[in-house]
Amino acid sequence: MKNLFLLGLLVSSSVIYAEHHGQHGMENMHSHEGHLHNEMINGKTLKVDAQRFDKFMVDIDNHVVAVVSVQGMVCDFCARGIEKTFGKDKRVSKIDVDLASGKVLLAFSMAVDVDEADITQKILNNGLNTTDIQVVGK
Amino acid sequence: MNILTILLCLLWSSASLARPISYVDGHTLMANSGPMADSIYWHYTPNINYSVGLDYQRDKVSNERFPSARFTYLINRKNTDQSQRNLYFKAGVGLNNINNHFYSLAGDWETRRLFSSFSAEKSSGIGYDMFQQSIKVGVAPYLGDYGDLHTWLMVETKKNDLDNERITYPVLRLFKGGALIEMSYHKKTKWDVHLMYRF
Repeated sequence: MKNLFLLGLLVSSSVIYAEHHGQHGMENMHSHEGHLHNEMINGKTLKVDAQRFDKFMVDIDNHVVAVVSVQGMVCDFCARGIEKTFGKDKRVSKIDVDLASGKVLLAFSMAVDVDEADITQKILNNGLNTTDIQVVGK
Repeated sequence: MNILTILLCLLWSSASLARPISYVDGHTLMANSGPMADSIYWHYTPNINYSVGLDYQRDKVSNERFPSARFTYLINRKNTDQSQRNLYFKAGVGLNNINNHFYSLAGDWETRRLFSSFSAEKSSGIGYDMFQQSIKVGVAPYLGDYGDLHTWLMVETKKNDLDNERITYPVLRLFKGGALIEMSYHKKTKWDVHLMYRF
């Protein structure tokens, strides 16, 4: 009985720890030195410009954000193409393109399943390559 | 012969203005005005590997008009975190005279700070054939964010086998959002202005 109690305690504490630390909820994000760092469930570290991210999040509640790392995005025309392409997608509520970091932020309603393959294809249709997609806020 | 050379340079110069393939389903409208000719060029990108377009030129000297169809194929593209490199094959043919045609190999490499491009082009018309090579290099004096006014200071040099003379001139490129303006000046060709809008 004592062992069962200890096992139950261990399992529940693990679950509570995972809920508080393992998920990549936006409320867990913190910024320092101008960048937002968050350890993701998959072990990757998310890096986005903190001020830019905060500004992006101002008027959107109940959304998840796909942080897309893009190669080859070197000019305004690339950025404009991405904005226009995702602007036609009704599932995307808000878009931000950061030329300096090569990051694209896409906000989706919580009710929407983020289709990473579709995002990758749309980026490819702009002549660019996706190297990473991190979905924040799930 | 020199006037013909200048005219030919102007006729096909809009091909080297900016990336000739847009995003999928994207349209690009270009207008060029120089001392010898005015032109309008529209192209559509149905697939990321190629674009098709129509070009309409008016020769200010003879007042003749030259409609043509164009095709651009992306041979190779290399994207990195900081750069993009492209290699294109381009071709065009006159709609009222197929003897007016051109084909070229063009490439560019660009970062947010530096730009370089080259073009090797063979063009033909009634009674002439011309091979022209050009190189353009540029630097952005500052790095703007998306939506800012972007500025490029460039130098372009061209040489063709008709007069075998190299001309080199400064180019100023400004763009913001989907609009671009490019201006160049040479004592022989005077001012040349390109406008481009991508939508």
